[in-house]
Amino acid sequence: MTQVIRRMASIVLGVLIGLSALGCNVIRVSLNTSLAPEDVAFIVPGKTTLSEVVANLGAPDSIVDSDSGVVATYRFLDLKYSRVNFGWLAKPWTPVDPDLIFSRTGLGVDAFEVLCDGQWVVRQKEFLRHLIRPPFYPYPFQRSGRLAPMNYYLALAQLDPL
Amino acid sequence: MKIARSIYALLVVALLIQGCAFSRGTLGDDIKSDTVAALQKGITTKDEVLRLLGAPDRLVPLNGRDVFQYYRYDAKAGSLLLIILNFSRLSIKSDDLFVILNRDGIVEDVIASKRTDALAFRFWPFGE
Repeated sequence: MTQVIRRMASIVLGVLIGLSALGCNVIRVSLNTSLAPEDVAFIVPGKTTLSEVVANLGAPDSIVDSDSGVVATYRFLDLKYSRVNFGWLAKPWTPVDPDLIFSRTGLGVDAFEVLCDGQWVVRQKEFLRHLIRPPFYPYPFQRSGRLAPMNYYLALAQLDPL
Repeated sequence: MKIARSIYALLVVALLIQGCAFSRGTLGDDIKSDTVAALQKGITTKDEVLRLLGAPDRLVPLNGRDVFQYYRYDAKAGSLLLIILNFSRLSIKSDDLFVILNRDGIVEDVIASKRTDALAFRFWPFGE
């Protein structure tokens, strides 16, 4: 009897896992390598030169002139898209092709900028945005994290509202 | 016996790669390492740069100097399409070359990096 219950439980668990994955799409797009504060910690304004920055991070995506010096920009993107189609649940029982889709995209666009003086010495460094990259999360109605199921999402949404 | 094994191996491989998709896109010409190495600071002239690399993708005036920017983008996409559950990942990286020319049209500095060499096809969207 216990064996039958165990078997049934494992079948139900398998079906539930299968159902939860029905009609799911998970897509990620990354442009260049994402930089984190620890990756650029070696840059000391007033000491580090652009050559040292390039030696560590590679060539920037753009170099432009400004009144106060030269700005080198490293751009990167970490797009996360997830989608669940709950219409799949009804497909076996309906002649039409129903859709109930929840999807959400986090663009994750960011850039790291370095301002150098005429001698190519770094004067300032900063990220364009201070993103904490959210996990894949297809629920689209969350706003400022109030409906998020976990405190983790609350913290993320306050820093990075999508 | 060998034929049977080969057929089994082929079937296993076919089963493993079914539902997979691979795509690739590039923008710009390949920036060859030999060409970059040929650019010598204080020696190479603007004409030689143009002859070696062609017209730049972007020309940036920089504090009285000219900067020739050359770039190439490479995109590789991998997908695992299991009908009801699909994973896709698109990775894009760029090769960039900046040639800084002084007021006399001589190469003052060369900044280059080749990121596309390490670009791989991936379909698993999680993790790094």
